[in-house]
Amino acid sequence: MAETVAETAKSAHISSMRQFKAIMKKDIVMELRTKEMLTSMGLYAVLVLVVYQIALSQAGSSFDVLRIAAGLLWLAIIFTSLLGLNRSLVHEKDQGCLDALLLAPVDRPVIFFAKAIGNLLFLSIVVVIILPLFYFFFLAGKPLGGPLWMLPLPLIVGCIGIAGVGTLLATMSVNTNGKDLILPVLFIPVMFPLLYASVAATTAVLIGDPGYATVYWNSIALGAGYDAIMLLAAYGLYEFIIGA
Amino acid sequence: MTDTTVSQRRFLGIPGNTWTLILLGFGAVLTTIDFVLAFFYTPLVVGAQVAETRIINGIAVSNQLLFSQKIFYFHVPVAIGSFLVFFFTAYYGVRFLMTKEKKFDTRARIATEVTLLFVILTLITGDIWTRFEWGVWWVWEPRLTTYFIMTLLVVAYFVLRSSIEDEERRATYAAVFGIIAFLDAPISFAITRLIPSSVHPVVLRSGGGLTGTQLLAFLLGLFGMLMVAWVVYQVRLREELARERIEGLKAALEG
Amino acid sequence: MTDIHTTELALEVRDLSRTFGARKALDGVTFDLPKGAFLSIFGPNGAGKTTMLKVLSTLTNPSKGTAKVMGLDVVADSVKLREQIGFISHNPLLYPDLTAEENLEFFADLYCIPDAPARIEELLTAVELEHRRLDAVRTFSRGMTQRLSIARALLARPDVIFLDEPYSGLDPHAMDILDSLVAQVRDQHTFVMISHDLAKGLELCSHALILAKGKVVLFEEKEAIDPEAFSATYRQTVGMGVS
Repeated sequence: MAETVAETAKSAHISSMRQFKAIMKKDIVMELRTKEMLTSMGLYAVLVLVVYQIALSQAGSSFDVLRIAAGLLWLAIIFTSLLGLNRSLVHEKDQGCLDALLLAPVDRPVIFFAKAIGNLLFLSIVVVIILPLFYFFFLAGKPLGGPLWMLPLPLIVGCIGIAGVGTLLATMSVNTNGKDLILPVLFIPVMFPLLYASVAATTAVLIGDPGYATVYWNSIALGAGYDAIMLLAAYGLYEFIIGA
Repeated sequence: MTDTTVSQRRFLGIPGNTWTLILLGFGAVLTTIDFVLAFFYTPLVVGAQVAETRIINGIAVSNQLLFSQKIFYFHVPVAIGSFLVFFFTAYYGVRFLMTKEKKFDTRARIATEVTLLFVILTLITGDIWTRFEWGVWWVWEPRLTTYFIMTLLVVAYFVLRSSIEDEERRATYAAVFGIIAFLDAPISFAITRLIPSSVHPVVLRSGGGLTGTQLLAFLLGLFGMLMVAWVVYQVRLREELARERIEGLKAALEG
Repeated sequence: MTDIHTTELALEVRDLSRTFGARKALDGVTFDLPKGAFLSIFGPNGAGKTTMLKVLSTLTNPSKGTAKVMGLDVVADSVKLREQIGFISHNPLLYPDLTAEENLEFFADLYCIPDAPARIEELLTAVELEHRRLDAVRTFSRGMTQRLSIARALLARPDVIFLDEPYSGLDPHAMDILDSLVAQVRDQHTFVMISHDLAKGLELCSHALILAKGKVVLFEEKEAIDPEAFSATYRQTVGMGVS
């Protein structure tokens, strides 16, 4: 009996917050040291912009890039995020570190949230880099249809979903034989509704057609609904994935 | 392993195998009647609710009696069927995660196989409809889009399975992905439906206008297709259970 | 079995099975291990050794039966049990891009160790890596990495230490260092080791267990072991595994 009391005392100092911070800190320190994720994501994003330039080079002067700008922007974000999501879990897998993480007295949701928020952080940094570059290369001098303050919201809603669902799917894909090849196959169809909503909302702000606010808020609400349902599902299912 | 005895299970005193045959017969008869009714008895429907008279394929369609609408009696039952079967992928996925019993994984996988068959049929029939209603082979219309995404999700499910060697991990991942995919499909539909696409007009037929014969044909088709789906599922399940049993016996002999 | 007895046991494994479909990784394993013992588990590939270690260290759940480690159930008390377990594997379980110190700090945070800096200092000295504390693990030799992973395993002062083929991939020198480190902490912990190396495993152990096809073929205290007969049994089970 005395032993049971001693063990309870031992568990009392387990702080999920300390564990959460530790995982975040470790990911950030490792990233700052290797700069693997940010350089590869940033470079990839720039390369995508170069390919856009090729794609649009013969479109002619009557073509209004603004009409497809949101789509192009999200395309760059989604493909860049695939790269980062893979990296963030590959280094856990490399030396069996994921097992070490699972052997520690950490609640599984703590791992999920730490990885997902870490991914959200890196993704936001990349978006913050892409956005001005994209504007500079393709939209310079074009007036924005809607107010500027409306622009970040769809980006936030989109990135939260990408990071949350992406963390779940990337944890699956690193444990398969296909590794990086499997992630897009799983990720893009699952992401379809969120991307659709995000592109709709972003386009609404960029163009500002009559009635754009309705489309904008509708899309934001639907995107947020997707986030809520999918994050809840991912949160609930992560334990099964990580323990298998 | 109570699984291996599914074929011996009795319902109303009739063994499972016989039920499968009976339902297959019923399903076939119902879908055939649906076919006959659809082509020879149901009245033609006035053209799709296109706002103004349009010239599509050189024909003004605003008031045309659409023969192509006949495919409604096959397309919609197949579409509903595929979604119902997909539900079982998620259902058995949840059961699997709760129990970790292999039999639920087998069931989820076979339900997904039947889903694949049905979503492909949905896409083909939907595509034919699109071709004759709008004169193009493909329109990113909410329902077709949703079924296209569903096809991709189901294909992804099998790609995922084939890339994992460890049986239990494969089953767990497949269950999780099946649940996520099942949640994703209705959200895809809701979002493509509720956010108007600026490229194509949203042309959705309201379902309320079915006359007696039309409704009869539709319901026959629906029940017929569901029976066919059930039979395909059962037959595949038997086959898989038999195969697993043989493999189990082989392993026992070798081991 | 009385309660007093129960608390004296490090492992209580009862009818432990781990099955999936027709495949049985563990099939009705039952044994007890007293506290402070050193258990070596032998067996051919696919005998269920790794599965056993995974179940005991809460990485997977048993399909049937129960297992208690230090009186804690592997399913019901898994989070609490993890605090009592140290794990040393042939994989270092360390982040190569972090320094030795950062790795230990990270795991100290995961285990929420109150006196982390002092404990890390103490362990780095014990494994003789103090001078390399600020170097990335990537730059370490295999032996140094293994020493650091021992420090990681000991960090939370665990009661039980699991060793998953710790000698594989080590050169003789690194093996000696590992041996002496294990010898240093031998009397403070209970050890459970998986090994392919019969001589090494028998030398270290106080109890030996042979698994084959998920079943216990032999479980004996070291004093009772006749080395000749033991290795004959072992060879036989390995032969079974191959056929």
